Amino acid sequence: METPNQTLTAAESLDIIAKMIQEAKGNVKRNSIYLLLWGFVTVAANLGMFIFIQIDYPRPYLIWLITIPAWIATLFIAFKQGKSKQTTSHLDTINASLWFSYGVTILAIVGFGFKINYQINPIVLVMSAVPAFVSGVIIKFRPLMLGGIFYLIFGVVCFLVDGPWQYLVGAIAVTAGFLIPGFMLQNKTDL
Amino acid sequence: MFKDLDPLLHSQLRLAIVSLLISLDSAEFTFIKEKTNSTAGNLSVQLDKLSEAGYVSVEKSFKGKKPVTTCRITKKGMKAFEDYVNTLKQYINK
Repeated sequence: METPNQTLTAAESLDIIAKMIQEAKGNVKRNSIYLLLWGFVTVAANLGMFIFIQIDYPRPYLIWLITIPAWIATLFIAFKQGKSKQTTSHLDTINASLWFSYGVTILAIVGFGFKINYQINPIVLVMSAVPAFVSGVIIKFRPLMLGGIFYLIFGVVCFLVDGPWQYLVGAIAVTAGFLIPGFMLQNKTDL
Repeated sequence: MFKDLDPLLHSQLRLAIVSLLISLDSAEFTFIKEKTNSTAGNLSVQLDKLSEAGYVSVEKSFKGKKPVTTCRITKKGMKAFEDYVNTLKQYINK
């Protein structure tokens, strides 16, 4: 674009506008790292919990300590992405606020879970439906929207099953809700 | 033809800059340079023209020790872009 003053036809003008709007769409693929990170960590924690209960390990809940390095990694990745980011869009801000609110709410539920005897699995799954579905709408990515629907379905299933089976349902829900959409987003080429 | 089109926007690079900024809250100079495939000198000149017209705001700051120029479209710029597109539509629908 070295000739700023040349005469443009209507078609050329429209072409420039369409091309630039396309260029500004941004790289929504960068969101996939969080889906994959939290997908792997929570699937591992759910499965670990299920297995530990089956083998009568006295403190199965210790497996959830693996979420601590995941939080640190999340903050580190977010900081790094923020530093290298050359643009911000309104939708980026909405998306980040959505996941931040979700993270804080989950922390509150986990933190005060003892008040409800740690019967939090179905609540966490049903709640995860919201950011997954809405984020899918924001970045126009259908698999993540479907992931949100799966979270809702498995969340309801989780209310209906007992004890260790809730963790198995949880692992399936996270696989369908975060992991598979995360992989698909990472491998998507036309975003 | 096109005599009613805003001359400030009816130029290849300036139209590209505004079209890029219309969908973003803000964009760095280097990002605009890369996406519009322009030279730093030319981009700087065109951004100055848009800034003088009040279509774009340009802010200089630092990211760590690195100087960064951040551009945003203003309300006036958005209105001008809308008007430009509407006028363009009239020509196309003729």
